[in-house]
Amino acid sequence: MSAPAELPAVGYVGADVPVELITAAGLLPLRLAGKPGGDRTLGDRYLGRGVDPVARSILTRILTADYGPLEAIVVSRDCEASLRLFYALRELHRVEPELRLPPVHLVDILHLPHHTTTRYVHAKVAQLREWLGRWRPIGDDDLAAAITAHDTLRRSLARVAALRRANRVSGTRFLALVAATTALPVAEATALVDRVLAADSPEIDGVRLFLTGSSHDDPTVYETVERNGFLIMGEDHDWGELLFARTCAAPTELALAERYQYNGPSAPRASIRQRAAHTAAAARACDAEVLLSYARIHDDAPPWDFPDQRAATGLRAVLAERQPYGELTEDALAALLPAGAAA
Amino acid sequence: MTGRLASATTATAYQREWFARMRDDVTAGAPLALVNADAPQEIFRAMDIPYVVNQWWASIVAAKRQTQRYLGLLRERGYPDYVEQYSATSLASAFEDDPGQAPWGGLPKPSIVLGETTGDASRKIFDVWDAQPGVTYYPLESAAEDSVPERWWELMPHRWEEAIGSDRLDLLTGELTGLIRFLEQTTGRVFSETRFREVLDLVNEQQEWNRRTRDLIAAARPCPIAVTDGIPSVMVPQWHRGTEWARDAARAFHDEVRDRIDAGVAVCPDEGLRLMWVGRGLWFDLEFYQRFQRSHGAVFVWSMYLAIAADGYLRYGDDPLRALAARFAAFSDQLYTPPWSAEWYVKEARHHGVDGVVHLVSDDARGSYFTTRALRAAGIPVLELHADNVDARTGDGLDARMSAWLDELTRPSGKDS
Repeated sequence: MSAPAELPAVGYVGADVPVELITAAGLLPLRLAGKPGGDRTLGDRYLGRGVDPVARSILTRILTADYGPLEAIVVSRDCEASLRLFYALRELHRVEPELRLPPVHLVDILHLPHHTTTRYVHAKVAQLREWLGRWRPIGDDDLAAAITAHDTLRRSLARVAALRRANRVSGTRFLALVAATTALPVAEATALVDRVLAADSPEIDGVRLFLTGSSHDDPTVYETVERNGFLIMGEDHDWGELLFARTCAAPTELALAERYQYNGPSAPRASIRQRAAHTAAAARACDAEVLLSYARIHDDAPPWDFPDQRAATGLRAVLAERQPYGELTEDALAALLPAGAAA
Repeated sequence: MTGRLASATTATAYQREWFARMRDDVTAGAPLALVNADAPQEIFRAMDIPYVVNQWWASIVAAKRQTQRYLGLLRERGYPDYVEQYSATSLASAFEDDPGQAPWGGLPKPSIVLGETTGDASRKIFDVWDAQPGVTYYPLESAAEDSVPERWWELMPHRWEEAIGSDRLDLLTGELTGLIRFLEQTTGRVFSETRFREVLDLVNEQQEWNRRTRDLIAAARPCPIAVTDGIPSVMVPQWHRGTEWARDAARAFHDEVRDRIDAGVAVCPDEGLRLMWVGRGLWFDLEFYQRFQRSHGAVFVWSMYLAIAADGYLRYGDDPLRALAARFAAFSDQLYTPPWSAEWYVKEARHHGVDGVVHLVSDDARGSYFTTRALRAAGIPVLELHADNVDARTGDGLDARMSAWLDELTRPSGKDS
């Protein structure tokens, strides 16, 4: 098995990028995360300050080569900020070629549950496959092997999620593990997860909290919540359980397209009704006592979901609105703590 | 002679009468659609289903200074009052608790809302609509393309397949086929393709008049009309496009502009600076557009409303449904997505011979850096104003910044900066 450094990396933005295709092209899919507290000057300049700070951070890191050498960048339409990030990269290629950015490609995975959308998404998946073929043409066998490998990883992660629900893995540790798998070749990622599954983990205790709202590409908010007596038993964002909740129905290009179309429901792309139903079922599955919706500033979808999520779960629920990137404010924590005390 | 345009007052009066008639019809049981500005309204027109444009209604609410009260109604229900206020205002109308204050008697409850799943919040706003009794949201995808040709305005009227790409057109055409079936089933109204083709022909005729009007204004010195007059003159007929009234209103607007030019009418006799307004209309302070005529001789000669009518709607072709899909599959890209937006604003700035651009940048605007960059690279000074176009809370200090910038522009070396 190749070491990570031996594989050329393709940076990707968003959980809607079909990583199977990057793997099948003989490349390392490297999910690009932002850096809270890091410099965002260039991202602010090109995207404006009204865009989700995660995208501004990622753009800044791309432009300052903070991810190391990237063979290419694939951006998905997982949220509005990612789309704007793509447009900025595309336009920078055109008007500031001296930046020498890697080639960039948009994979426009859409999510309405209709056959018209499936046909469109299938076309977009096929186009990404062809685009990546410039590195290594992707044969059907290559694709099938990559789909099988990534689905194996997803099943292993699902077993860790079950361990977490059994109080054997903290939310913080779980989040870090999931993030680690997005920066490794898929076989190594699966081996890493399997080692966690094989280890003897002591039981941990805390108020059982389900986290909804914005995604977390950084552990700080998890650490803050768990330092204050809670255990994050589950979440519905795509740096957590939504990343691996769905597998492919078959090792084919069409099934891959359907897997990504129907993956979710993520806050930026799903309906309020879908989100409420999913959050309620997921919170119930982990016996949550408290629901926390964390809404990062300029991440516009979560506050709209919250009233129905609160009603659907029936839990003590707290909305932390307009939170700074990678932080839970003192006010928000103060609002959360009584919910824990009452549990 | 420099009073309001007759076409503006006529359009506004027509809109009031139409709205009152529509309210009566809906009260009597007619279906009503609420549609986004960039949604394919022509299908409703062909089926004689009345519709209200979401953003038009928000502009009326803002002009009546009711936006803050409406946003408060959202807040009371646990929804954010700080996200996409322009799109959320109409939703707040569903929660109206004081009909006496409601603009124009209030927005009747629609039976269908239609909009793209643009952004992260827009579809949520429609989801809340969908949760209201008797209301159905019909969502359309908002697709995006990996690469596009730059000079879209040259391609769109006839070569739209090349400009937009077949995948997006296949998708929206499929969705519109479903929409027609949905409307046939739920309203009992008939979709006649003969009637639909007539509607599309009327729309193209109307936009051809708008194109001529835009070109007249671009070439005229001094500017013959106030931009605030131009907006209702083009937009009220735009919301009624596909009718003979709208086509004739666009022609009347053209003729009035032509007559003013022929008579040498100036909206600002001391026209010194020709300005372009990039962004949505500043509905909470429409006087802004005239405020600097007296102090600086600065005249706004351009807003996107007439220009996008001139360049953004024309679609010819033998397959009417696909041609309609081509009008809207990439509509907002024309205004907000580089390189399309940036190159188009530069083209329009040059066409109108402007001395400077005022660029309203709201939180949810896309591509604003690249618009400003492209204009400045073309040698055109740009002032960015950061505010929301309907939320007056965000509008502090606009006058002062504008005055300071105009002072710079009017200094002898200002235009070279």
